[in-house]
Amino acid sequence: MIFKSIRWRLQMWYGLILVGVLAGFGFTAYQLQRGKQFRRIDDEIQRRVGELASAMRLPPRREPGRPANRPGEGFPDGPESGRPGSPPPPRQGPFEGEPPEIMDRAPKEFHLRPQQMSLFDESDTNAFYYVVWARDGRELGRSANAPRALPIPVHTATLAPSAPRMRDGFREISLSTPPGEILLAGRSVALELRDLRRTSWLLTGTGSGILLLGLAGGWWIATRAIQPIDEISSTAVQIAAGDLSKRINASDTDSELGRLAGVLNSTFARLEAAFEEQKQFTSDAAHELRTPVSVVLTQTQMALTRERTAAEYRETIESCQRAAQRMRGLIESLLELARFDVGQEQLKRVRFDLSRTAQDCIDLVCPLAEERHVNIQTDLPPVDCTGDPARLGQVITNLLTNAIHYNKLDGNVRLSARPENGSATLSVTDTGEGISSEDLPHIFKRFYRADKSRTRGRTGLGLAISKAIVESHGGTLQVASQPGEGTTFTLKLPID
Amino acid sequence: MRILVVEDEPDLLRGLTQALREEGYAVDTAPDGEEGLYKAQSWDYDALVLDIMLPKLDGWEVLKRLRQIKKTPVLMLTARDQSRDRVRGLDTGADDYVVKPFDLPELFARLRALIRRSAGETRNIIKIGHVVIDTGARTITHRGEPVTLTPREYVLVEYLALHRGKLVTRTALYEHLFDEDDSSLSNLLDVHVSNIRKKLGHDFIVTRRGHGYCIEG
Repeated sequence: MIFKSIRWRLQMWYGLILVGVLAGFGFTAYQLQRGKQFRRIDDEIQRRVGELASAMRLPPRREPGRPANRPGEGFPDGPESGRPGSPPPPRQGPFEGEPPEIMDRAPKEFHLRPQQMSLFDESDTNAFYYVVWARDGRELGRSANAPRALPIPVHTATLAPSAPRMRDGFREISLSTPPGEILLAGRSVALELRDLRRTSWLLTGTGSGILLLGLAGGWWIATRAIQPIDEISSTAVQIAAGDLSKRINASDTDSELGRLAGVLNSTFARLEAAFEEQKQFTSDAAHELRTPVSVVLTQTQMALTRERTAAEYRETIESCQRAAQRMRGLIESLLELARFDVGQEQLKRVRFDLSRTAQDCIDLVCPLAEERHVNIQTDLPPVDCTGDPARLGQVITNLLTNAIHYNKLDGNVRLSARPENGSATLSVTDTGEGISSEDLPHIFKRFYRADKSRTRGRTGLGLAISKAIVESHGGTLQVASQPGEGTTFTLKLPID
Repeated sequence: MRILVVEDEPDLLRGLTQALREEGYAVDTAPDGEEGLYKAQSWDYDALVLDIMLPKLDGWEVLKRLRQIKKTPVLMLTARDQSRDRVRGLDTGADDYVVKPFDLPELFARLRALIRRSAGETRNIIKIGHVVIDTGARTITHRGEPVTLTPREYVLVEYLALHRGKLVTRTALYEHLFDEDDSSLSNLLDVHVSNIRKKLGHDFIVTRRGHGYCIEG
């Protein structure tokens, strides 16, 4: 669980990389130090091996039984130099400065010259020591500080000094001579090994310290980097819990997280607006249903308080019926809107004459117009368009009913249709009160009423439904109004 | 008790009016805010039932303008039960509210409480001598015996009892017991008073000739 957290994973990877880097660095430093130490010691030992060899008075590079006068022959590890009777050229290694010596001498004794003796401080067990063995394994000589029980190195044909060997804290280099003696010089490296151990502990300690500091720093950086994400997530949690008004504090708008916060905030804002709209719609719908229910409750509760005459019962029932019809109309409108909202409304697509449909609508609203003394003028040349004639007829009827309803007495309603720029246009103009500029942007909203009151038979959803129908045809429904003079609704539909 | 109902839904207005009248109230009606405000300003109603969503002037505006000159108790009818609306109503000066759809008994109870409180009465039992008036149950007992009164008679007794110790003029009684649709003759009041005296004792209501009536506290 905890390792699923980005912070922990960052920290883990960071820690692993840090450990790797530190370990590599420490190991390299240790190896360098160790190599340097041993190279120095090896050089010293090698010099002493050379001294030993010179003390043996041996020519440096002769193989037993090999003709001494063959020029051009060399040893594998160096240029040819040795010719009997002639001094070898200056060389590196243990035979440097070696005087010419007589070959094939098999010494029975081994002695160092005094200045060579000074190279081996025999009183110090940590100083250089030497051992010389004869061919038969007999010790020809050894320094006093040489460790007991030294294994005799194997005699090699190569007359070069052997590779340094490590043995129980001793560093030794041996050299085989052509006659078969083996020279060995060595030194205890206990002090150096102790130093190296100390160095390795120091490196480990320092490394661990740096690792801890690094991890702490990494944790701090990871925390800082994660903090905005934590803020975003805690805000998102609050929003998910229902508080849609919360916003992420996006002060650093240019950073990656700032941009993310911006995107989330705008999403939340749209979500909140949509949610508010839905809430308002639901509340409005409930509100619209409350009044007819109140009518039913009031009428029935009153009627039931005592015996009534048949006429009184009839009146009560009629009131209830009117309330029920109003509720039915409202419910039908709500369902219709809901179908448009989820895109389930099936629309026919046929070619028809918009003017003919408009004429049918006029026939439908004629009684209302007569009742209100409103005169309907028409200008309806044939205008073809494509769509669902029944649905568009519903829109036109709604517009006409509104135009009559909100008209003044003896007012006019003008209905005209014409083709315009590849679309069919139909406009309904009334001579009513007009709509104020503050109401105008809202009149297509559900349940929005400019006069803030219920008017009989009007659900407040007519224009919202009309707009939904027109827009699902790919058309537009627009309104323009001059307060005091009248209102014009313009319906535009694509011809094809 | 005279009540003004301001409501734009005709069926609801008619139903409310009839139900209130059957309870013995005198009821005036107004179908929109403008008329409602005019009537509320011109008469001393005992209570106002005011819808919020009204044509011409909405309930808030009616209430605001009425409160500038009158303290008439106002019961708001609201279709929104969001506390925001209730708070706004109470803050604007409404005395109580009822959320639509409401039950008639509840509406009546709230109206009774409203009228009682505005008369300075907090309990619903009023005792005057041997007569006990229960304004909650709208019943009257005389020496422990229940007395049957017509709604109009009951309202007359209740009105005088709520104003006991004070002289109530005939004009005031007409204004509070009869509504604008009543075509009652002026002697109808005397008939009611005479009937009440028969049921509750002759001395229960004192006549101040030429001025009005009074119930001694």
